[in-house]
Amino acid sequence: MSDTKTLTFAFMEPPFESERTVTFFRLLDAALDRGAGVRVFAYEGAVALAFARQQPHGNAVHHRDSEEEDHPLTKDWIAALQEKARSKGIGFEWINCGLCVDERGVNDVIEGCGRGGPPDLWRYASEAHNTLTIGTR
Amino acid sequence: MKVLQVIDQAYRTTTEEQDDTILWLTQSMRGAGGDLMVLLSGHGVHYAISRERQPALTLGTWRQTQPAELPRDIANLVESGVPVYAIQDDLEERGLGGLALQNGVRPVARRAVAELYEQADQVWHW
Amino acid sequence: MSHYLFIQSQDPFTETRTHHQFDLIGQLHDAGHKVAVLLVQNGVTPARRGAKSDLFDDLLRWGVTVRADQFALAQREIDHADLKDQVGVADMDLVIDAMLAGHKVIWH
Repeated sequence: MSDTKTLTFAFMEPPFESERTVTFFRLLDAALDRGAGVRVFAYEGAVALAFARQQPHGNAVHHRDSEEEDHPLTKDWIAALQEKARSKGIGFEWINCGLCVDERGVNDVIEGCGRGGPPDLWRYASEAHNTLTIGTR
Repeated sequence: MKVLQVIDQAYRTTTEEQDDTILWLTQSMRGAGGDLMVLLSGHGVHYAISRERQPALTLGTWRQTQPAELPRDIANLVESGVPVYAIQDDLEERGLGGLALQNGVRPVARRAVAELYEQADQVWHW
Repeated sequence: MSHYLFIQSQDPFTETRTHHQFDLIGQLHDAGHKVAVLLVQNGVTPARRGAKSDLFDDLLRWGVTVRADQFALAQREIDHADLKDQVGVADMDLVIDAMLAGHKVIWH
């Protein structure tokens, strides 16, 4: 593990609003596939991605109940990536910008996601092999 | 590690966050010792010529008491040692070419932006 | 000489800034740097054969390496055979490999 490279990602999009969110998660998954450690700094709307109280729902237009619809939830995506990282013995860290969390009221986050601020982004980036930032429109 | 922050949009968050969220992020990281440069491009060049405090929003009985102070935020960045550039061509596109830039903001021609990208170890485009 | 990978999510049909983004890519390429573009999301739309975008076609003409994200193509039902010549197909591992190689990876 000593030669595992870590990549940092900073992201701003909330769940359910933008294709960027899907691309971002695909990048995290690909990073783990390549054996890279992952560190995420979730900024602004992205702090809602880890909100523990996201709930699936049925869809009458699709004629599917909640179980059948099996609605994607980003908190489950994060948990799945955490699990993948664990199984591969590589790191997966997630920090939400704390002020962004407070203003949105999404303080209840899933296990393994923490709270921080811009100095953490700088720390993550300084310690990582490389960093990619994805803003919002 | 030197990072170039490219701010290509403007006014997305200035009312709700009472600042530009990436200028704020940059200032915070500078405070943590970050070695940063800022490139204002696209509508972001408006920040380079901004002179006034943002208007206070009122909604119903609610009135904003601390609207964003973009000139202050740009000045603070410059004073803290963060070079701030604005693309001259984007200023001219928007009819802003004849206006004075804020103290310390450096104009850069679009054809010279590639050189700025080369000066940085990483380019963070927001 | 530096290596750049631009992840191009913005497309020339809806985003005016794409013009300047493509120009910058061309400048870096002309300056002798190794520049590649991965089209993602609606960024893949000008890559379809018959799509009318001089801006995008210039990138190909200049010799910039352009690939389109497999997933975005599948969403838009664009087969490999439907792509303009010189446009390759790739996945997110292209981005990760570039990051791991220390390239400057930039999201548009």
